[in-house]
This record gives sequence, C-alpha cells and structure tokens, in this order.
Amino acid sequence: MAKLIGLPKLSPTMDEGTLVRWTKAEGDAVDIDDLLAEVETDKATMEFRSFDKGTLLKILADEGATLAPDAPVAIIGAKGDDIDALVAKAKGGSAPAPDAKDKGTAPDEAGASTPAKPKADSKAAQGDKQAASGEDDSAADGRVLASPLVRKLARERGLDLRTVDGSGPGGRVIKRDLDSQGESQPDAPKGGASSAGAELDAAGLALPRVEKASQMRKVIARRLTESKQQVPHFYLSVDIDAEPLVRFREQLNAEAGKAGGKVSYNDLVVKAAAVALRRVPKVNASFAGDELHFHQRIDISVAVAVPDGLVTPVVRDADRLGTLEISKKIKELAEKARDKKLKPEEMQNGTFSVSNLGMFGIQNFQAVINPPEGGILAVGALRDEAVVKDGRVVPGKRMGLTLSCDHRIVDGALGAEWLSVLRGLLEAPLTMLL
Amino acid sequence: MAVQTYRDALRDAMYEEMERDERVFLMGEEVGHYQGAYKVSQGLLERFGERRVVDAPIAEGGFAGLGIGAAMVGLKPIIEFMTWNFSFVAFDQIVSNASKIFQMSGGVIPVPVVFRGPNGAARQVAAQHSHSVDGLYAHFPGLQVVIPSTPADAKGLLKTAIRNEPNPVIFLEGETLYGLKGEVGGAEDLIPFGKARIGREGSDVTVVAWGRCYYEALSAAELMAEQGIECEVIDPRTLRPLDMDALVTSVEKTHRCVIVHEHLPYGGVGAEIVDQLQRAAFDALDAPIARVGSRDLPMPYASNLETLVLPTVERVVEAIQAVTYTKS
Repeated sequence: MAKLIGLPKLSPTMDEGTLVRWTKAEGDAVDIDDLLAEVETDKATMEFRSFDKGTLLKILADEGATLAPDAPVAIIGAKGDDIDALVAKAKGGSAPAPDAKDKGTAPDEAGASTPAKPKADSKAAQGDKQAASGEDDSAADGRVLASPLVRKLARERGLDLRTVDGSGPGGRVIKRDLDSQGESQPDAPKGGASSAGAELDAAGLALPRVEKASQMRKVIARRLTESKQQVPHFYLSVDIDAEPLVRFREQLNAEAGKAGGKVSYNDLVVKAAAVALRRVPKVNASFAGDELHFHQRIDISVAVAVPDGLVTPVVRDADRLGTLEISKKIKELAEKARDKKLKPEEMQNGTFSVSNLGMFGIQNFQAVINPPEGGILAVGALRDEAVVKDGRVVPGKRMGLTLSCDHRIVDGALGAEWLSVLRGLLEAPLTMLL
Repeated sequence: MAVQTYRDALRDAMYEEMERDERVFLMGEEVGHYQGAYKVSQGLLERFGERRVVDAPIAEGGFAGLGIGAAMVGLKPIIEFMTWNFSFVAFDQIVSNASKIFQMSGGVIPVPVVFRGPNGAARQVAAQHSHSVDGLYAHFPGLQVVIPSTPADAKGLLKTAIRNEPNPVIFLEGETLYGLKGEVGGAEDLIPFGKARIGREGSDVTVVAWGRCYYEALSAAELMAEQGIECEVIDPRTLRPLDMDALVTSVEKTHRCVIVHEHLPYGGVGAEIVDQLQRAAFDALDAPIARVGSRDLPMPYASNLETLVLPTVERVVEAIQAVTYTKS
C-alpha cells in the first residue's frame, strides 16, 4: 500500500526546509534507514532517511523547493501501486512554506485531479503567476519556470530565481530577465566604483543589490529579534587581570604540546565559565513562563562564525571536561559548522553561551542572549595595559568580560556573584581544580 | 571561380567524375537522348556514349536494383530518379538492399551507388508528387543523405558522393533550385560530408535549414535583422552524417534555435536535431527549440492551399520571434 511521505521535522526549530538533493530516484528500491534526500534546515544540511521499505514511486518536491514540515515530498509503496489518488491528495493538501504562499502560488485544486494540461499553450498573462495557476500546473506547485540557460546562470551566479520576475510565456524566467538585474552577482559591488553599472532608483541613486535571505539568516533574524524583544537583558562587565591566565596557559601548553594539543584563551574561559556555573548554579537556568528551570547539566553553547552567519554548537558537560578536551571539542564542532555538517542535537539544549570576539581586537561587547538560556558571556581581547600594582604603574595583562543576563531569572546580585566567581577562577586558574 | 546554375554545377560534377573514373556511369529515365527531365545530364550522352549514359525504362525498382548490383561488382553508378517521389517504387531496393549489404556482408561488399534527383514540392504537383524524402531516408543507417542548397555545394557534394565508399548516397536536389546561379568550385574542390556551412553569422538565434528552406531562412534573417535580431543561418548540407558540433557550438552562442525543413513534421531530421540539441546544449537554451516544417497533411493541389502547407518566410519569422521572445 503506497503512502505519502512528508518532510520530516529535522530540528525542533525547523519551520521550513529546503530540499537540497534527492539521493534516490523514482523507481529506486528503498529500505528502512536508506538516505532519501538532503534537506537544508535552519541550521544544517540534514540527512533525510526513510522509515519505510518499498519503492520510491513518485517524487513530489523538486530539488530546491522550500517546504513546511510534513509537506508531502514523495510516495513510497510497492511497484505497480496506483498512486493517482495520493498524488491528487498531495497536490490538494500540500502546505507550501510561507514564502511560497507569498508568491501567490496556491495549490491548484482543479488541476489536482485532472491530468496536467500542456504548458506550452498557457496563455497566462506575463508575470501574473496568480492567473497562471489555473492553467499552468508547474506554476501551481510553486516551481519557478525558467529556461535551462537561466537555471545554469542562476547556479553560477548564486541567484535565487524566486526573486526574479519572468517575462517569458507563463512567467518563465528567460535570459533577458537576468540581464536586467545582472548586478545581483554576490561579489559585484566593491566600493564606490561598481555603482557605475548598477540600476538606479527614481532619484538617480544606485539601488541596493538584492539577495534572498538564507534559512540561517532568517533564523538568526527571528530568534535574536525574539530575544531582544522578550528577554529583558542587563549587562555586567569586569576587567580581569589576565597575567595569571597567560602564565597558566603557557604551562599548560608546554605539557599539552607533548600530546599534540594546544589550549586557547577561549578554551580556558569556557572551562572557567562552566566551573563558575557549577559553583553558582542559579545562573545555569532558564525562565519558562510559570516555571523556572535549573539545569542539571552544564552545556556551553559556543558561538561560531560561518560564512552565512553564525551557529552555536554545544560543548556538553563542559564543567567535567579537561581544557584539552574542550579545545578539541570546540575545534571539531567549528569545523563541522563551517562544513554545514552540524547535527541539530549538536546545536540544541545549551544552558549558557560564550561568545568571543577577542581575536578581532574587541575590548568589550554586549552579546544577545540565546533563548531559553539565562545568560551569555562576551569575551574581549587579551590586551597589554599599564596597571597600578602596590601603588606603582607596571605593565599588565587585562581581559574584558561582559555577562548578559535574562533578568527574569538572573538578578543583578546573582549575575555579579557569578561574574566575580568567574573572575576569581581566571585570575587564579589553579582554583578551577578545587 | 566560375558562376554557374545549380543544374550546370551538377552536370559538371558528373562530367568531371566520369572523365576521372571510367567506372562511373549514369542511368535513369530520360537521362540520355532527352538530356534529362530537368536537363541536368545535358551533353553527357554525346561525350560518354550509350554505355555510360543509359536511358532506363519507367521501372525504378528495376534500374535502382541494377545500380545496386553494378555497385556491388565494382562500378560506380549514378541512378537518377526523375523525382524522388518515384523512388518509393524502388524503396525496397534502397532500404532493404542498398543500405544493408555492406553491413550484412561483413564489410566485404561495398555499395558505392549514388541515387540522385529533385526532392520536395515543385509548384502544384499535388499530394503524390510533392514529397520531401529527406526525413524518410535519413532514418536508415547505411544511407548517407546529402541535400545541397547552393550551386557550389551541389557540385562539391555530388563529386564527394560519386567518390564515396562504401555505402550508398541519397542525393537530394531542389527542383526549384536548378536555375539558381552561384559561384562553383573546380574539379578537385570536394566538400566533405558531415560539415555544415554557416550561411550567415549572427548572435541571437541559430536557424538551421537545408535545401530550398535555406533560402526561406535567409530571407527571414534579413527581416529579423531589421528588428535588431541577428540570426545565424546554418545549412548542415548532409543530414547523415549530421554536423552536430557546428549546431551545438552555434546554439551555445545564441541560446535559441529554429529548425526549418520542408519534410513533414512528424518525426524526421528536424525532430532528430531537436532531440540531439536539447541533450547536448540543454544548459545553453533560453527557449524551447522551434521547428517550421510542412503542415502535417498530404499536399493539396490548389496553389493557395499549397502555400499554406509549405514553410514560408512568415512562419520562419514567427518562430524566430517566439524563441527570441520578441513577438509583439
């Protein structure tokens, strides 16, 4: 008995996914746990594996399609199964992702149960995809109509054809439509000189280069807006004496070097933050409406910049890991993040975050909390500074740390207590062992 | 270079090849004493005598088979069909024997025969006598199909056809082209099979056309140039072998293609080119490939209806406008 296969929810925060690539073709045999496709979720490109055994009878979603979870993407069954009813059901009942709806490509109810009409004869008004949906089945399923040449150019230029209005028959995107927005190549504008060839607005000013937001960008925008709007942030800053930390790290790396490893300041800060959370556990908490959740684990989310934006892979049980283990773990996660290979479980359920911009020479900054975590520590650069010691000005090392707290669960005094514990740990690193 | 009619260019090709190789002979209806139904064999009987310019009875199956047999035993026959419409009487000889024997004999018996004559509609010769057989004969492996559009191509390709080994050549002339004048090459200016000729260079659309339709394509290109659309007109000259490299190269430049042919639209060489192009140049295409051929009908006798069936300049222009998205 053939059944409709819906797009699985591959991460808890996934409210749409892009079908990157089918790894099975129609007619292929499928076993349980076979890789069916790759799906780009809000954070990573995920494997979409089969829960069913049979034959992939029909692929309902094209590569590149962005769909909501549970939207029908395939039909699996036995060879020879009659799938017409399922196809009709899929077409009628599909739930296109929000941006597909915006383009006015509602499912074509009439077309769902009747054979597709020849597309070539579509007399739909140019550019009016709403009108086209009655006559043109391929517009109705959310697919962009484009010539093969246009698809090739779009691949080369990294263009999203959904952002291009087609002037060909039935709204087909043709080469001319790309030529008119040729400036939208990602690397085109560099400084003022390039505005010469750019399109101008009514006032004669160069129009911005328009790029479609990636899934990750949308998630960053949504989650951080939520955070800043819903989480009452306050900030506590300290400047620590980093001299002991520098010496400690030298000692550590002299030994770690023998094992082929190297510990960074960030690794030490992550470790110290984890130990501080163990000592002041009320900061390791989440506000959840009527409840306060005090975490039993100390899982530190580490912000990692990737070409498209940033992700926050999690170092689990960071309080119990050695600094070298933390170092290796962060390296491994950062590498996966850059390759887009992070699994959702590697990015979820952190209890506290550490974000470090010290490598860019930033002295101090205020980070935005990654909900539902209760706090995030912003780490600045290690810097040389003249300091007063025993009444004399001497050369010293300083590091700026700023804690952002969710005031709903971490009050000022509590945050300050935690920060002073952290400071104590970093200024006397050996005490981390206590 | 000498300026000659298409008719005289063909005559000279045969004359020069008969001078060059005594195995070459011409046979067909009215090729000798009448000097050819279309006067293509003018003067050959006088020069080469009745042994090498043979008037055949009205029995295409018979003299086509005779030509095949002569080729099998070492001669180089040129078999003239008064028109290609009459080749259907000899279809079995051409398809079952000529095209197959070299392969079926394991490459032992070559069949170097040239079948030639006018192809396509003349004016008002009605359903049975207006066939374009290019799509039909190009269907069969073992046959080489040549269809020259200019006097130079007619001469150079017929000479290549006569010298060709080991398989038979279907040489399709244009009844309405015989009076066409143009420069032609000399005795050793042979034109190879499988080499297309670019008749007009252009950047916006590739127009592939052969035989008489080549001129419809050129006229359409003139009209389109006035609208700022530059057509690249390509004549493949031989349909088997087909110079796909030239077509792909052109389409990769222009991104659009129109194919113009006189043969019927169902299947045929036009459809074959579409198929090969969409696979070889898929990513280069900005529009579906368009075809302009005869309408899918037996040819009507009435002159006005005949005009409606044949591919016209207007229809070629329409197709070019469609693929360049310039239709107003």
